Amino acid sequence: MTRRAERAPATPTDERDADLPAVRAAQADPAAFDVLYRRYLDRVYGYAFYALGDHHDAEDATERTFLAALAALPSFRDEGASFRAWLFRIARNTVSNARRTRWRRRTEPMPDGFDRPAPDADPAGLVARAEETRRVLRALAELPDERRQVVILRFVDGLSSREIGEVLDRSPGAARVLLHRALRDLEARLRP
Amino acid sequence: MTTRSTPERLDEAVENLLAGERPAVDAELRPLTRVADLLADVLRPMPPGPRFEADLGRRLAVDGGRRRLTHGRLLAAGALSSAAVGVTVTAWAMWRSSRRAPALSHRLLQR
Repeated sequence: MTRRAERAPATPTDERDADLPAVRAAQADPAAFDVLYRRYLDRVYGYAFYALGDHHDAEDATERTFLAALAALPSFRDEGASFRAWLFRIARNTVSNARRTRWRRRTEPMPDGFDRPAPDADPAGLVARAEETRRVLRALAELPDERRQVVILRFVDGLSSREIGEVLDRSPGAARVLLHRALRDLEARLRP
Repeated sequence: MTTRSTPERLDEAVENLLAGERPAVDAELRPLTRVADLLADVLRPMPPGPRFEADLGRRLAVDGGRRRLTHGRLLAAGALSSAAVGVTVTAWAMWRSSRRAPALSHRLLQR
């Protein structure tokens, strides 16, 4: 449970305020972008990884996202959307482009347990956990694109419904409905 | 009295779940929060490799430095062109006044 509390929390108002000084500093001096890079690297990479299911593609998408964000930072204005939502919007476009390119190459990797080390030392527990992970990731990969995006943004990156709405160009209410449908869909797919 | 919709109640339950709490939910939401619980367990944060992190950090620093340089050059060019315009306008004004002064004295002498 403690681990969950440690993941990126959905703090819609504080988070936005917390980013603004760093954003202003980076707009005045691009060298200060490093603070935002360190703050968001894991989250952007995690988003790209779960959306694309491949380490190399995720690295490529992460690199493109941060380079594009650095280039577009002077045009960022504090007009409703948080920096976090703005950054994930760039990431979402980058991931969509990567998916389109991959579709043209027809090399969709199969979602499996990825090569992530599991915390369990017990071999039976490891096998069961790997199987469960595979099942969940497969079901996630089968979801329609927007529902999958909502799940990843909510559970991996800790974005609030308001922020998810900003990323997907939807209202917060529509983002909540998408999450509801995504969980209902996953529940049906995971039912034994 | 307004009743909250199912997506709103589910959203709140998920938020509590991700904050490490165990939300109390009704029978309608229970299967969905079970899935949310599973997702929270499986979809763990996934940091990139340290080499990738360092390489991209370096690349961003170089890119940022280049942008700062471009910004500095733009400022210098702006300052230079302003100075050039100032010098030209001053020279032109001095030239005009030097031409006007003899003409004026000539007119005064003729009176």
